[in-house]
Amino acid sequence: MSSPQGPDFPSLVPTSRSMVPGDFPSKTFSSQSGIQSTVQYGSRRSGQTLELVYDNCSEANAAAIYDHYLACKGTIYFFGVLEGAKSGNSTFHLGNTSASASNRYSAAPFGMRYKYAEPPQFTSVKPGRMSVTIKFVGVLDS
Amino acid sequence: MTYYSGKDGTLTYNGTAVAKVSSWSFSASVDTLETTVLTDSDRSYVPGLRQFSGSATIFYYEDVGSTAPAPKPLLEKIISTSAIGESGVTLRLGWSSSKYIQGSVIITSGELSCAVGEVMQATVQFQFTGPLNGVTL
Repeated sequence: MSSPQGPDFPSLVPTSRSMVPGDFPSKTFSSQSGIQSTVQYGSRRSGQTLELVYDNCSEANAAAIYDHYLACKGTIYFFGVLEGAKSGNSTFHLGNTSASASNRYSAAPFGMRYKYAEPPQFTSVKPGRMSVTIKFVGVLDS
Repeated sequence: MTYYSGKDGTLTYNGTAVAKVSSWSFSASVDTLETTVLTDSDRSYVPGLRQFSGSATIFYYEDVGSTAPAPKPLLEKIISTSAIGESGVTLRLGWSSSKYIQGSVIITSGELSCAVGEVMQATVQFQFTGPLNGVTL
């Protein structure tokens, strides 16, 4: 049974972003002679992580992220990520939906779906300003 | 047109004018918080926290019967055998009867200098805490 779909993540441009593209399921065997053999078990990679940092953002934007986390029942629901969070590096993301090299920040074109990997962290900076760190993980859903 | 000079300067400590002030200075600054996002090509900022600080140089002297034995009260806030207290000091830096900057300060450094051929002087530096409680520029 697939997990429920939550609302899309707000289209907010982060101050920094890092992505780890995950890996294909495989197992590596090492012989006593040192020779390694790797067996690939699946054709689809998973575990892509996308970390977004919003430094000194407005409280309204921080509240929107907080509300989205609650609407997704924390780390349970899958959701889409709107273009704002993926924009800024057009070679990595052109905003289309194809599973091409120009769409690397998305999870859906590659068969994955994003969900929260962990609860977001909110740091108060000054009245009206907060910093937020978020980590998504792309997993294969049935 | 009115110009002001050192002759017009005053320094008031907890409501009492400090006599024989050689100079004072005041500085205000505000931190900047960067808000540049990935789609920007120029850095952007919003104002962060503001702070005020200053310093004063005062001739060290003793005046019998004076109500303002400068700069002893200021120096005793930091040069003392007892622990530093948390009680506030209100300083007012003025340059005319109606123009001044006033606020609660912490004396952050005190320096005494005594040299041949010079009148002994004390220099104190202070950090304002909280907002200013009076400004007339």
